[in-house]
Amino acid sequence: MRMPVPDPSVIARRAEIARNLRALVGPDGVIDGADALRAYDCDGMSAYRQPPMLVALPRGTGEVVRVLKYCHAHNVRIVPRGAGTGLSGGALPLADAVTVGLARMNRIIEVDYANRCVVAEPGVTNLGVTDAVRSAGFYYAPDPSSQIACSIGGNVAENSGGVHCLKYGLTVHNVLGVELVLMDGEVVRLGGKHLDTPGLDLLGVVIGSEGLLGIVTQVTVRILKAPETARAMMMGFASNESAGDCVGRIISAGIIPGGMEMMDRPAIRASEEYAHAGYPLDVESLLLVELDGPAVEVEHLVKRVEEIARAAGATTLTISRDAAERERIWAGRKAAFPAIGRLSPDYLCMDGTIPRRKLPEVLAKIAELSRRYNLGVANVFHAGDGNLHPLILFDANVGDELDRAERFGADILRACIAAGGVLTGEHGVGIEKRDLMPEMFSPLDLEQQHRLKCAFDPSGLLNPGKVFPTLHRCADHGMMRVHKNETRFPDLPRF
Amino acid sequence: MSEIFKPARPAAVAEVLVQAKGAIEVRGRGSKRALGRPVPEGLAVLDLSGLAGITLYEPEELVMSARAGTPIADVRAALAEKNQELAFDPPDYSGLFGGRDAGTLGGAIACNLSGSRRIKSGAARDHILGFAGVNGRGEEFKSGGRVMKNVTGFDLSKLIAGSYGTLAALTDVTVKVLPRPEKIRTVLVFGLAADPAVGVLRESLGSSHEVAAAAYLPQDVAQTSAVDLVARAGASVAALRIEGHGPSAEYRCRALKGVLDGRGATEELHTQKSEIFWREVRDVAAFAADPVAQIWRLSVPPADGARVAGAIAARLKGRYFLDWGGGLVWFALAPLPDAGAEVVRSVLPPDGGQATLIRAEAGVRARVAVFQPLPPALAELTRRVKEGFDPDRRLNPGRMFADV
Amino acid sequence: MQTHFSPAQLEEPDIREADGILRKCVHCGFCLATCPTYVLLGDELDSPRGRIYLVKDMLERGAKAPPTAVKHLDRCLTCLACMTTCPSGVDYMRLADIARARIALDVRRPWPERLLRALLALVLPRPGLFRLALIAARWARPFKALLPGRLKVMAAMAPARLPAPSAVDRPQVFAAEGQRRHRVALMNGCAQQVLRPSINEATVRLLTRLGCEVVVAEGAGCCGALAHHIGDAAGAEAAARANVAAWEKTIAAGTLDAIVINASGCGTTVKDYAFLLRHDPAWAARGARIAGLARDVSEWVAGLGLAGAKLAPAPTVVYQAACSLQHGQKVSEAPKRLLAEAGFTVREPTESHLCCGSAGVYNILEPVLAAGLKERKIERLAATGARIVATGNIGCLAHLQGASPQGASPIPVVHTVELLDWATGGPVPAGLS
Repeated sequence: MRMPVPDPSVIARRAEIARNLRALVGPDGVIDGADALRAYDCDGMSAYRQPPMLVALPRGTGEVVRVLKYCHAHNVRIVPRGAGTGLSGGALPLADAVTVGLARMNRIIEVDYANRCVVAEPGVTNLGVTDAVRSAGFYYAPDPSSQIACSIGGNVAENSGGVHCLKYGLTVHNVLGVELVLMDGEVVRLGGKHLDTPGLDLLGVVIGSEGLLGIVTQVTVRILKAPETARAMMMGFASNESAGDCVGRIISAGIIPGGMEMMDRPAIRASEEYAHAGYPLDVESLLLVELDGPAVEVEHLVKRVEEIARAAGATTLTISRDAAERERIWAGRKAAFPAIGRLSPDYLCMDGTIPRRKLPEVLAKIAELSRRYNLGVANVFHAGDGNLHPLILFDANVGDELDRAERFGADILRACIAAGGVLTGEHGVGIEKRDLMPEMFSPLDLEQQHRLKCAFDPSGLLNPGKVFPTLHRCADHGMMRVHKNETRFPDLPRF
Repeated sequence: MSEIFKPARPAAVAEVLVQAKGAIEVRGRGSKRALGRPVPEGLAVLDLSGLAGITLYEPEELVMSARAGTPIADVRAALAEKNQELAFDPPDYSGLFGGRDAGTLGGAIACNLSGSRRIKSGAARDHILGFAGVNGRGEEFKSGGRVMKNVTGFDLSKLIAGSYGTLAALTDVTVKVLPRPEKIRTVLVFGLAADPAVGVLRESLGSSHEVAAAAYLPQDVAQTSAVDLVARAGASVAALRIEGHGPSAEYRCRALKGVLDGRGATEELHTQKSEIFWREVRDVAAFAADPVAQIWRLSVPPADGARVAGAIAARLKGRYFLDWGGGLVWFALAPLPDAGAEVVRSVLPPDGGQATLIRAEAGVRARVAVFQPLPPALAELTRRVKEGFDPDRRLNPGRMFADV
Repeated sequence: MQTHFSPAQLEEPDIREADGILRKCVHCGFCLATCPTYVLLGDELDSPRGRIYLVKDMLERGAKAPPTAVKHLDRCLTCLACMTTCPSGVDYMRLADIARARIALDVRRPWPERLLRALLALVLPRPGLFRLALIAARWARPFKALLPGRLKVMAAMAPARLPAPSAVDRPQVFAAEGQRRHRVALMNGCAQQVLRPSINEATVRLLTRLGCEVVVAEGAGCCGALAHHIGDAAGAEAAARANVAAWEKTIAAGTLDAIVINASGCGTTVKDYAFLLRHDPAWAARGARIAGLARDVSEWVAGLGLAGAKLAPAPTVVYQAACSLQHGQKVSEAPKRLLAEAGFTVREPTESHLCCGSAGVYNILEPVLAAGLKERKIERLAATGARIVATGNIGCLAHLQGASPQGASPIPVVHTVELLDWATGGPVPAGLS
């Protein structure tokens, strides 16, 4: 994985930069020891590691502003980092960059029930937002599987989804406003407690921008009243096709469940070992459906889904009897990725989205690729919205398995695009899918996105090497003219 | 006489932008031409209404793609056949602006206009999955896709929504569609003053009965409704919309009435009357009847809605009503040279809120800041973003802000 | 995740075991969510994931543990919340054990540090010495401003009044009330006897009331937890052997149904005796047998039932879940159920998974972090509105006793078993009006 070439002149000034940063964030706010820096060398994607030049841990917006202003003035690159649970390498450090960790900014600033929103610092965990309002019967809907640990700031960067995003939307549908610090230290407030801000929807484009447009220092999120009741249904099928078919039938019946997830046999096994939720171990495919809302509605929907599932050939069917059972059923699914750690020392978690009805086709393709690359694969997916998570199992300590796993992953993503889907549904492009971007976008498409980046960060110092396969020099834009499909600036360093 | 270009296919749009020189007005069916800052006179026109037609519709996949110039009416009809709908419920401002119809899909997206259900179902910008268009350089580009879960690159679809055609001329749009609710019920509570009414709206939205929309009409607005029960009540009305599967909607409606029992006289509207009522709210029908009134649309934190409306009413002669649980304030006033802009903007809460001058004569809209003025840092950022799409300011120049 | 041990390194059993544990970690970061030091400090190095990385580095290099590793491992409370959270089944406890044993061998701490640790290891397990030390500390309190760092902290921690030693702690047998249904040993521990002897008194009353003959064994004493956590393997083993031998005598005198332990920190250690004594297969087997009999008092009483006894009216209590009980022994529901059965209204604080900061002698060795966690915990306990805190460990009890939530008076902290004793006919626990 090639990253931007480190700037030796910056590295040479490392000690001075550390000293100056300490003056800005306090002596315990900068990490510069080689041993210590190693702990920051990757996020949730551990296949690629790079110790940062330095780590800064600011405690508030003011400190973030000062750090960015300083780095901007001294041409030092910045890599933002939340909880480090991301799966696409978005927080992978650079050898000449300062990793700015937002974990110390972890306070809930305000809970506003009258306006049904919570204002939080970016280091608050996703579940922490819900915890703050749980006692009043509210919750924050987007629930990525890592919600116990992932930060709300990180959720904004990746436009995180989760099991319940089918019905309740992604992060972008649940964020009312952010405070953003631009690379030059300018602070802008996008949105707020009111809806539909004037002017361009910069909030909408910042969400999902993977730390390339600014550092989020405050988030205002919508909270919802917890549904009166929720039931989880667990249905086993003899094949992925029949399970996929069942999903289609449910949607066609006009039912939008709170969540709809599928797991295949290896994933079922791993999750069961961890959660002991009573997953059937003898089915090919497990469909988990959550129906939530007013009790009368849920009763009605549970019956209808049961009918549909049986008609679609479900071989086992369980309906949760109480909240504890429902939680257990979901705990297994939510821990599915890391639970794979019980089956295999390493795994690559892929993330692509396809039209729902193409599921059986793409799964078949994945099975074929698994045979070709001779690596196991476990499948977990958000069946409701076609977002796949094939988990490629490998052992980095063995020969070329990492390399094969990556090629396997890239082929899976190509299959997704071929099926009319996209490279990433919720984990972000990061470094993992960066080099596949040209398979989805034309040079002009990418160009247009670059220009947006330049509008926010003309210096290009914020999180370089992520999302886009070529490093752009914004100053060159003024002179650009379009030529159909030619590679622009062939002499620009590609890393 | 300004030149009008009306391309028949998407590829022709880029050609037009290359061929025509200078600034150009981008429009669909012109239904919202009078919305925003006025278009400079004499500009060439890029008429996209010829780019019409649904290109993809897969009900089980909850997705539809159409050319940007497709009339909303056509989209709605196709969806209704399969019992589906656009959940953001784009309004029909033909009554407000005297246009011929509700306009195009591209227009609804470009202006990010949504109905009362926005608070639960999301705005137009939450339903656009992808688009293709041409930027101010004449370059064709696309973003997004046809699936909901998509973080591949920057979400330019969000940026395009609500950009009033100043960043790109849309040629194709892909939207998320949803099943139509089986039944609709509206709970009405009569006779409340604004503050307690907003309290009722808040309580309902914070309940577990899944309220889809919440509005408050003072008496002088309620009495214009085509729904007898509302018009003849001789009182203000707070309205809560509940929708869904048959038994569920009925049950929740009853439950909500139970919760609100004692606040005021309550009534219930069934599906047909509910649709009429909410269409009136969505399309600002009460003010459309008065062709002269200047109309403001304010978005504020819901808890501030009643106060803001009251503060404006205290100083400007006019009528108002609230939507979005109090978060949307519509205010119609007898025309003033500055449309009362200073008063209106002065009552906005300090930490959040914006006022848009939705309707006024062109001259007034040229003078008064139609969209809420941006703080300097944000204005600068907006300018740079615009530059990235349209460096020569060719597309709908000045439609949103003087320098965008 | 990927590890880099040479075949030679893997010959060593501890390294082999560490390698197995490290391979399980997939770097997902879930453990950060429930780690008290990460919540306070926001630094990856003070999270289980970061510590795992440091241990991996340290063991792979095979050199002396670097100061960074020592510092961050010292900061670990060993609360084991991370193990409850980890979906991949990483045995963090074992990894930390291995690392700490290494550090104890390799690293020469500065002499004040060594002196303090030696002092703690000497005094705390011996009730007589501990009592003397506390009395001395009480005398030193007015002068604490003059004392250096840690000593100042310890002086501040000394309770204002020391209860008199209780007769219950002498080796003896307590007959069951009425028909004898079970015979159990009560571990009377070390520090607990000095700080709050009423806990053992209440335990004896409760157990005998419920039909148990209770034996306080001759020769049983400190469980060895302190030595074990400090990395003093020899000391831990010696303590374990002494207890095993003492209880074996008790077993020899008649069937023993359980060894009841009312300090969850000790319970976790006794249940781990097979590991502590692993270097000698004979002792390991004996340790396993004893470990198999160990029960936390709440587990044991839950098995007996309270026979319908109830306190009415009963106050509202907030349950402070000790880490050693909820994460170490995986006992969460029994204490709460028992309290509810006994008539109390039981509330739980938010962040109940997060350590209070006591963690053995952590509050002496890492006073700043311990204070931060204490403050956080007491706020959350107070926020429930309850005016009594119930807990199953003397560590939490001593640490939180007397702590004032913002703008309010301190909430009395009592042991769960004291409340159950009260509900079934015993006296009102000390500290409650």
